[in-house]
Amino acid sequence: MDRNRIRNFCIIAHIDHGKSTLADRFLEITRTVPEQKMADQYLDRMELERERGITIKAQAVRMLYQPEGDEGYRLNLIDTPGHVDFSYEVSRSLVACEGAILLVDASQGVEAQTLGNAYLAVEAGLSIIPVVNKIDLPAADFDETAVEVADLLGIDPGEVHGVSAKTGEGVEELLRAVISATPPPIGDPQKPLTALVFDSVYDMYRGVVAFIRVVEGGIRKGMKVRMMATGASSEVEEAGFFSPDMTACDELNCGDVGYVITGIKDVSRVKVGDTVTGKINPASAPLPGYRDPKPMVFAGVYPVDSDNFTSLRDALERLSLNDASLTYMQENSRALGFGFRCGFLGLLHLEIVQERLEREYGLEMVITSPNVVYEVEMNNGSSAYIRNPSEMPDAGAVKEIREPYVRATILLSPSYVGGIMELIKERRGVFQDMAYLSGRRVELRCRLPLAEIVMDFYDQLKSRSRGYASLDYEHIGFIAGDLVKMDILINNEPVDAFSVIVERKRAHKYGKAMVRKLRSLIPRQLFDVPVQAAVGGRIVARETIKARRKDVLAKCYGGDVTRKKKLIQKQKEGKKRMKMVGRVEIPQEAFISALRIDGEEKGE
Amino acid sequence: MRLYIHWPFCLSRCFYCDFTSQVTSAGVMRRYLEAVSRELVKWSALLLAERKVLRSIYLGGGTPSILKGDEIASLLVEVDGAFAMLSGLEVTVEVNPATWTRRDFEDAAEAGVNRFSIGVQSLDDRTLDLLGRAHNASEARSAVYEARRLRDASISVDLMYALPGDDGGVFERTLGDILELQPHHISLYALTLERGVPMYGKVRSGEIILPEEDVAADQYLLAIKKLRASGYRQYEISNFAMPGHECLHNLGYWRREEYLGVGASAHSLLGRLRLSNPDSLLMYIRRVEENFIAASVVETLSREGELEEEIMLGLRMSGGIRESLLREASVRLAPLQEAGLVTRERGRVALTPLGMLVSNAVISELLCA
Repeated sequence: MDRNRIRNFCIIAHIDHGKSTLADRFLEITRTVPEQKMADQYLDRMELERERGITIKAQAVRMLYQPEGDEGYRLNLIDTPGHVDFSYEVSRSLVACEGAILLVDASQGVEAQTLGNAYLAVEAGLSIIPVVNKIDLPAADFDETAVEVADLLGIDPGEVHGVSAKTGEGVEELLRAVISATPPPIGDPQKPLTALVFDSVYDMYRGVVAFIRVVEGGIRKGMKVRMMATGASSEVEEAGFFSPDMTACDELNCGDVGYVITGIKDVSRVKVGDTVTGKINPASAPLPGYRDPKPMVFAGVYPVDSDNFTSLRDALERLSLNDASLTYMQENSRALGFGFRCGFLGLLHLEIVQERLEREYGLEMVITSPNVVYEVEMNNGSSAYIRNPSEMPDAGAVKEIREPYVRATILLSPSYVGGIMELIKERRGVFQDMAYLSGRRVELRCRLPLAEIVMDFYDQLKSRSRGYASLDYEHIGFIAGDLVKMDILINNEPVDAFSVIVERKRAHKYGKAMVRKLRSLIPRQLFDVPVQAAVGGRIVARETIKARRKDVLAKCYGGDVTRKKKLIQKQKEGKKRMKMVGRVEIPQEAFISALRIDGEEKGE
Repeated sequence: MRLYIHWPFCLSRCFYCDFTSQVTSAGVMRRYLEAVSRELVKWSALLLAERKVLRSIYLGGGTPSILKGDEIASLLVEVDGAFAMLSGLEVTVEVNPATWTRRDFEDAAEAGVNRFSIGVQSLDDRTLDLLGRAHNASEARSAVYEARRLRDASISVDLMYALPGDDGGVFERTLGDILELQPHHISLYALTLERGVPMYGKVRSGEIILPEEDVAADQYLLAIKKLRASGYRQYEISNFAMPGHECLHNLGYWRREEYLGVGASAHSLLGRLRLSNPDSLLMYIRRVEENFIAASVVETLSREGELEEEIMLGLRMSGGIRESLLREASVRLAPLQEAGLVTRERGRVALTPLGMLVSNAVISELLCA
């Protein structure tokens, strides 16, 4: 097909603003999916995604659209993830496009992540097609939202489209607008191949499937290719596109979007942002923008039953085949036994991995409270990254501890500004500036330690703005802080899984809150259990979990011992869901929520 | 063999009770009695002669004292026809204070009942009201008094602690009053509420406040102390007796002796089989009327299962169990002993009063492989 008839575009939208529904309508209008076969939200393939209503992995669908009296267009819709954890993946998907639909829910308005992604799209030189969705809803405020979107982009509110992805109203007009506003791809089919990998998935039988946008040249079955960043080389076993199922074709030419099957067995060799080129006639330079995304959030993942260690290892290995940003390293916790320290892009990524381990592999796990990675400079001049607080070297040997910071953008209604400024201050944030986007929305920028976001900043933001504030952030590097390691001792033994890095001047308050929290999370045992927080060997807080005094001692009627047996059975099963740490039974929940301490508990 | 007969009818339902019992008409009760007789005959035909020698009979409920003394007598005649009664066997009837007159006690004693277990629960009228008991404190006193007058009868009283709104004073008074009546045996249970009973909702809504765990535990320990001082010996978690007045029937349960349960929801232990009859009255009656065995197998115990039961039930008794039963689990005894929950003497392990309070936890600790 003539390259001038190709349009590559994506949809930028916040979770729940209707991206998948709009994509469904496009698939229907272009008859890419027969209506009766139309599973709702076709692009969200994984069951998990469907349940969460979010898209984790970018995918691309080719649609043929033939308006009346026209020879037709090839439309490639590239799906992008909508969460800040995956902002690098988003940026790569964006550069595979020439146009972007900016989709905003008429009843919700612009959210911080949408704003962030819209800026990314503008920077990438994409044509933006602004759209306000859900105009059919009674709560919709099309005019106000259109003004907000227009202000954001510096355009006239009259240029904003109104659609209802649900009813289909305005969708076909939108599709025509996409065609006229999005420029066709440029590129030279004679040049050496350069193709951008904007996503990859692992298929058990065929190896890694790479989603690519061909920028220059072309790629064919049988061609020998090389990944310019990782150096992996292979032969193209198959090239093709999704329509929406995998469809093989002879060649993907410059401007095209599709997939290649390379036979490479390791997803970490085919990374998002890498450039595919020919082995015979390679490009002189890769496409710009490649990064190796580093996990910033770490957590210990342990099997509840230590017999399942091998199953957990196998599951992590298989998951990471499909998820190059998941890292895992074996570690040994005195409290929890053998397990793994896993690295994630962020909290959502962690939750997704946890759910997949539980759902797809049926594993029961203890996941420790997540922490960020710390950069530690030692007195002897060496430095190291610390991924587990319990591994923090003794304070005496440490010259400086640096922690990752982010630049955060918060969008909120003006009435909550005061409360959110407070929150930023409480969480060691530094306010930077503030701008009114419209009468009902303020953009607030600040610097924050990532550790605070990992803890519960987002929950607090939501609760203090009645759910209306939204957050986006980008990493800005490591900044030194006055940080100390705090250990938690249970029954006089330090439990490494509870160690945490805190700001020195808040250690006392924090320790108090944490032992109080643990007292409430750990059930009474058969003996008194002291819970202590210690900094550098000095106890800063202490609570005692008093011994349990009395069980249920029901009457055994008429020799019905089965009742009694059930009670004991229940107690035995309850024990299984606990982790024995020394002589103390600690519920899994305690490992996850011990660090989630709200403002009140912190004594602030 | 020991025989348990269940009588699933009551004058009214107590607010805390979730056992098989109902308030019904005389007609249904008559039909039920007929079913019980048929079941007795059926078992009699099935069991070998040596298994039919009864060492104790226990008529429990529900409220078996809805039956008059002479009706109890005819029920025992039926039992005698179907089984062989060992001479001097223990025969217990549970009695609700709201039911019997002096005459009924005498008739029952005449028919061979030699142990009366009286459901007093409390001697505080307000508390009895809260519990939904059909009797008041003075009726409870006179029932114990009447029973106590009988010659050669063993009198037991059921009491409850951890009752709503009681910081200890009410229970202590009840206990003192009961001791003055000098029953031979006292059973002591904590109020426990299963989901779905009327009181459960009231506790959840805050209308009724149950004492804290510590208060309840203190009440139990106080009772142990007072009862011991008055000459009672604790022989099981909930049971106290003057020497020679232990309930042999109940001891049979803890010692895993065979027993046959007759009537709706009654349980049996025959060899390695644990059986139970249907909870549903109608299902029970229908099965028996259609000449089926009413019981179905709940569990066929393995050797391992029997051992677990021996530990679980044995530890309920003051004498405890042989430590060797615990095998490798005995390494877990030391911290329990240190915490004052068990004693280890002469190769035996037993719960202390503190340990009895958390018996489920201690037992599951020792059973957790």
